[in-house]
Amino acid sequence: MIRVAITGIGLITPAGLGKQRCWDTLLAGGSGIRTVASFDTSQLPVHLGAEVTGFDPGDLQRLDPETTGRASQFAAVAAHMALEDAGLEAAGLDKKRTGVSMGTTSGEPLFVERYNDIRKTAGLEAIPADMLPRYPCHVIPSHMAIELGVRGPCLMIPTACAAGNYAIGYGFDAIRTGRADVMLTGGADAFSRITYMGFARLGAIAPDRCRPFDCNRKGMVPGEGAAVLVLERPEAARARGAHIYAEVLGYGVSCDSHHMTAAHPEGDGAARAMQAALRESGVAAGDVGYISAHGTGTLTNDRVESLAVRKVFGAKANQVPMSSIKSMIGHTMGAASAIEAAVCALTLDTGWAPPTMNFEQPDPDCDLDYIPNRARKIDPRVVLNNAYAFGGNNASLCLAREEQAA
Amino acid sequence: MNGRVVVTAAGVISPLGAGIGNFACGLYSGKSAIAPSPRFPGLCAADLGEFHPQPWLGNRGIRVLDRSARLLAVAAGMALADAGLLEPAAADGDPDVGLVCGTALGPLHSITAFDWSGIEEGPNFVSPMEFPNTVINSPAGQAAIKHKLRGVNSTVCAGFASGLFAIHYAAEFLRFGRARALLAGGVEEICEESVLAFRRTGIAPGEGAALWVLEPEESALARGRRPWLEISGFGCVQDAYRIDGFDPRAGGAAEAMEQAMADAGIATQELACIITSANGNAVGDTVESRALTRVFGPGIGRIPLYAPKAALGEAAGASGALSAIVAGLVLERQALPPKPGTRSADDPIPLPHPISGDYALVNAFGCDGNNASLVIRLWKN
Repeated sequence: MIRVAITGIGLITPAGLGKQRCWDTLLAGGSGIRTVASFDTSQLPVHLGAEVTGFDPGDLQRLDPETTGRASQFAAVAAHMALEDAGLEAAGLDKKRTGVSMGTTSGEPLFVERYNDIRKTAGLEAIPADMLPRYPCHVIPSHMAIELGVRGPCLMIPTACAAGNYAIGYGFDAIRTGRADVMLTGGADAFSRITYMGFARLGAIAPDRCRPFDCNRKGMVPGEGAAVLVLERPEAARARGAHIYAEVLGYGVSCDSHHMTAAHPEGDGAARAMQAALRESGVAAGDVGYISAHGTGTLTNDRVESLAVRKVFGAKANQVPMSSIKSMIGHTMGAASAIEAAVCALTLDTGWAPPTMNFEQPDPDCDLDYIPNRARKIDPRVVLNNAYAFGGNNASLCLAREEQAA
Repeated sequence: MNGRVVVTAAGVISPLGAGIGNFACGLYSGKSAIAPSPRFPGLCAADLGEFHPQPWLGNRGIRVLDRSARLLAVAAGMALADAGLLEPAAADGDPDVGLVCGTALGPLHSITAFDWSGIEEGPNFVSPMEFPNTVINSPAGQAAIKHKLRGVNSTVCAGFASGLFAIHYAAEFLRFGRARALLAGGVEEICEESVLAFRRTGIAPGEGAALWVLEPEESALARGRRPWLEISGFGCVQDAYRIDGFDPRAGGAAEAMEQAMADAGIATQELACIITSANGNAVGDTVESRALTRVFGPGIGRIPLYAPKAALGEAAGASGALSAIVAGLVLERQALPPKPGTRSADDPIPLPHPISGDYALVNAFGCDGNNASLVIRLWKN
């Protein structure tokens, strides 16, 4: 069986641009959550957001920032970062054998917002003909392919808040089936008033702080960002002298088939996704040393996810440290599980796990070890990355330290 | 596991006909569904018009579903019934049966309308019931709820190539043993926003939903289903050129076809026909012609070609799946449908055109740089 390694990481997050800055912030328990700046929230009861600041698309070589949406810009810059990190600058790639798979929740929704704004102020006739074709989500990987000139499999998997894991899974499959030698894979989303209004109306946004698994948790905080991972065969990475952060062992996906926005009350789909990931990876629950939680900070998600972990790990569930970086960088939507997969790779690589911040009071419904408030050295050999989404789409990704997979 | 993935059933809702039988009748009568749209004045399109899903889905829980979700749920129900999978193995749904849906513009209308209501009524008055429709995986999630599909559920987007990507994606999942049966195909709706997006392209928009039921060959045979087709090969190449224009060099389209043929391990003479991606866009059709000549040389003149979008319009994310279903019918009947719209006084009954062979190549190329080709084979024991 062909094995698949993670050799490059590019991150654009509310907690910093670039792998190192973001990782340092997460281990220090920092925060990227602020008052929303990109649009007016005064008519809403909530005002917190996790927006990317200081981003400059000026580094892009082939894409025009004027016509390229914000999520595509994040993704293309993150792809450059990841390739550089892997020592595979765009020029050195076999472009026909390099592909792209990305996840998103919303595609390029800012073009829909602009369309409506123009329609409101100047009427439908004033809308430029090329505006709406810039919205569909497939333009994100297409833009990355254009920027880097890569021509392999190119796919968007827009399974909302679980999309990053799905996309990394497809990248993993594309290498295992020999369709590509290198896959640039992850997720991207741009902060949008559409998403924000929707979650605000569902009563899902935290008014003060994001505190996953805490007894007084009041919701999630919408965010934006992108993560791109470089996947390739470990033999190719070693031959180049590249650093291997981790290996992808397998993944599992399932569907709650229960409700569009609410998780299955018994965590049925979440548990089956974890079990499928473990089965495909050929590891036992007891091998797992860390779980990157979906951990949005909503009442239901955190209770159900804890229940599902209990279901899969049984009496030993308390011995598996689990944390949610959404306490620090908010919920970056389709980018979230890709950023979290990058964090999992860094946890395997360094031994350090980021904390769940703002954890003060335990909840009897959430009775696991959430690595509260302080990063911890845990040296896991195998980790699970959980992601759950609207539509009941669940995906768990299993990563391992390189020697473990050998 | 021998790794073979077969097609055992289909579900389709299209202006040419609802259900695989009606769809085939429409197709082989030589009709084109492209006509003045009943919903959008001045538009020529393959438009379903007012669409009422109640006959298939009943009344319960459909009010909140948008057009795409309704179309997909209807096609999914037809596909499950055709496959004999309507009664799931477990009362609460089958954890090994799932759905992979391709779409291009996805929920464009729902997301635009939701945002518009925020502008008109204020952000604190948008409907929480409408919000789930704004996510792109909503139709697949809604169809899964409707039909208790608890297995793999995914949505894939690659512009006009989405439907073929969904079939490829599902086939790989089955080969990896991640499901027992997967519905795979695509959905697309015509909405006021997509009409704007198609403006001045020379393309008549189409809509509908089309799904195949894919299963590992062994498990289909084990449950007593005679397979219809086999998924033989897939190829995909990104132009990396523009998101809004065909690469005139036609390299991506040509390489996608070559990859699919190599993946299937077949030679040109084994192809019974090619189902083309041509949709009336002058540049796109020229690029595909150029790619066909490049791959097949002068021999292309001997391979029967059929362009289903002359009958179905450009159904974007659903078009690859619709074309694949057309290819399956062509292989089964060993005849191409009559050329749509050729009925005339001299030629009162358009006749199907006989072909011969087991393999068909299906193309889906988009002006967004996505090129996909699929090879299927008529299943024989």
